[in-house]
Amino acid sequence: MAQITLRGITKSYKATRVLNPIDLDIADGEFLTLVGPSGCGKSTSLRIIAGLEEQSAGDVMIDGKIVNDVRPSRRDLAMVFQSYALYPHLSVRQNLATPLRLRDLSFWERFPLLGIFMPGRKQKLQNLNAAVNEVAQTLQITPLLERKPGQLSGGQRQRVALGRAMVRKPAAFLMDEPLSNLDAGLRVHMRAELAGLHRSLATTFIYVTHDQAEALTMSDRMAVMMDGDILQIGAPDDVYQNPNNIRVAEFVGSPKINILPAKSDNAGVVSCVGVSVTQKLEKTSSDKLSVGLRPEHLLLCSEKSSNRFSGRLTYRENLGSDIFLHIALHNGAYPIIVRATPLDAHGLAVGDNVYVGHEPGKALVFGSDGLRLKLKQDQTSEPVA
Amino acid sequence: MSRSHASVAFVAPAVILMLIILIAPVIVAITLSFTDYSLGNKSFNWIGWENYEALSKRSNYKKMFSASFVYVLIVVPVSVALGLGTALLISSLRFGGEIYKTVFFLPVMATLLAMAIAWEFTLDPIVGVLNNTLNKGCEVGWLHSLLTWSWLGLEPANSWYGQGCADRFPLWLGDRHYALSTIAFIGIWQAFGFNMVLYLAGLTSIPRELYSAAAIDGADSAWERFKLITWPMLGPTHVFVVTITSIRSFQVFDTVEALTRGGPSKSTFVMVYAMFEKGIQQNLVGVGSAITVVFLVFVLALTLTQVYFVNRRVHYS
Repeated sequence: MAQITLRGITKSYKATRVLNPIDLDIADGEFLTLVGPSGCGKSTSLRIIAGLEEQSAGDVMIDGKIVNDVRPSRRDLAMVFQSYALYPHLSVRQNLATPLRLRDLSFWERFPLLGIFMPGRKQKLQNLNAAVNEVAQTLQITPLLERKPGQLSGGQRQRVALGRAMVRKPAAFLMDEPLSNLDAGLRVHMRAELAGLHRSLATTFIYVTHDQAEALTMSDRMAVMMDGDILQIGAPDDVYQNPNNIRVAEFVGSPKINILPAKSDNAGVVSCVGVSVTQKLEKTSSDKLSVGLRPEHLLLCSEKSSNRFSGRLTYRENLGSDIFLHIALHNGAYPIIVRATPLDAHGLAVGDNVYVGHEPGKALVFGSDGLRLKLKQDQTSEPVA
Repeated sequence: MSRSHASVAFVAPAVILMLIILIAPVIVAITLSFTDYSLGNKSFNWIGWENYEALSKRSNYKKMFSASFVYVLIVVPVSVALGLGTALLISSLRFGGEIYKTVFFLPVMATLLAMAIAWEFTLDPIVGVLNNTLNKGCEVGWLHSLLTWSWLGLEPANSWYGQGCADRFPLWLGDRHYALSTIAFIGIWQAFGFNMVLYLAGLTSIPRELYSAAAIDGADSAWERFKLITWPMLGPTHVFVVTITSIRSFQVFDTVEALTRGGPSKSTFVMVYAMFEKGIQQNLVGVGSAITVVFLVFVLALTLTQVYFVNRRVHYS
């Protein structure tokens, strides 16, 4: 159980700055995801929390105590790596026991042969074995205990890596893309299992991923990082519906949000590609705006109208439950994606002319600097600063 | 040509070459080892196991085996340990590693025969740098007391250095008690740079994440990390390095030929030098072949041990 705080953490490698000052408060028992494209500094942040890398400036605090100079092993954190980093020459049992051996047994008690004669060693080993067996049972890897990591499948290795993290009952778990090496089916399954594990352990989880779907499905809060900055932090729903930045809007959500160029007049009426958006801007006119419309907020319509986009269907992406229609507006200048039900999309063929309307109040308007703009009469979402 | 014949035709060049270049000489050597053949003779007599009996009985050959084994037993552990040590030190450097790599690898690249001449001058008992330096050191008071342990209150004359000062320093290559160790020293000097390079390659193949995992699991000291990760993960490298060094040490020849010619009193009479002396210089092809066969058996045993270890023990996947 731990509350972890980052205060003004920066990291530079020589002249290259990979982390701009980062502030982050992670509550006790929270599942926080750091998500962003590769190279955004999310793994570096995690390694700084773990103590594997030293920050150039700033403080890491665990439960209010500054731990900048504390060794990784003394921070009472456990980490799961993308490659699992299991010790290949040790059996699963020995892998699970290693953190406990190193923490609980003294140097002489671990010494080959001589260690047998150390008083109290037997009791410690019994406790250690009990802890290993308990974790193995929780993760259902008891039958694998005597095998070597090389004899396990990816999913089994993943469990062993989790077990090695769990066995010392750490104050917080740090996970660096732990699901990236699994196949798609297992990854979805492990998402649910990790979320369940978090619930039952009630421990702080800090989870790093480049997969926005993992961030959306598992976390209590997610922090979207890009180019060494945290752009937005909030509950997954909030980040999805209310991105404060065009880059966040583009990164979160699959398929990607549709971004269309737009302009506004003096009255604050925003129009994009000839179609006016229902909301009005608070401020003056500009002709370098962008409007973001998520695929699920666009509707297929049968007739042409002034507030509908018209375009040509270029591709039908059939996912069974949904069909994503790729539509080229203005002769292909602006490609957009519309989510439709199989019923709505029935009978549409590539090359057909289609008309697309949008749900009122759902459009997200961004300024030329990429920041979200305030809207008048915005009922559906809170204004963004 | 039918399909089956075609396959034979494809394989034939490789098989024929292998037979002529590799297998046939071994068979010839085995055959000759049972004869008293000398090069140039028109015929030979079958003498059965006589050559091998000579190898097992005559004191010269006993000295040969002991010289070879002692040489291997000195050179292999020391050069492997030194190679690993320098590789670990170099890989921990932030800069300057390239310079050390080059310096330590120089003896490997240099012609050993040319280097042997340099060693001959260094080790010469009268004009050599080594003994001259040692003699000069006798006159420097603090150095003398340091090296003779007299600063600990011990009698200077009982120490190796004290005796050397009082009497004379060893003849090195000319002294049968020192010659083999001196040759072994040169062998180590020449071999460890190669082992270092192999270990450096092995070290770079250890995933960095394992060290991160170890740091989090509580392997706080360098020794713990070495024990938990570096040493076991170098398993395949250990087997390769030890085997290669053993075989190369068994094959030592050029230093012996250049510096001692097997002497003094056969103290450096190693196997390959014996092969050369018997089989080529004295033209006793039969005995030379017998030594060759025994030598091949040793090398084969080493290789098979390596194969066994590589297959069973040190590859973890």
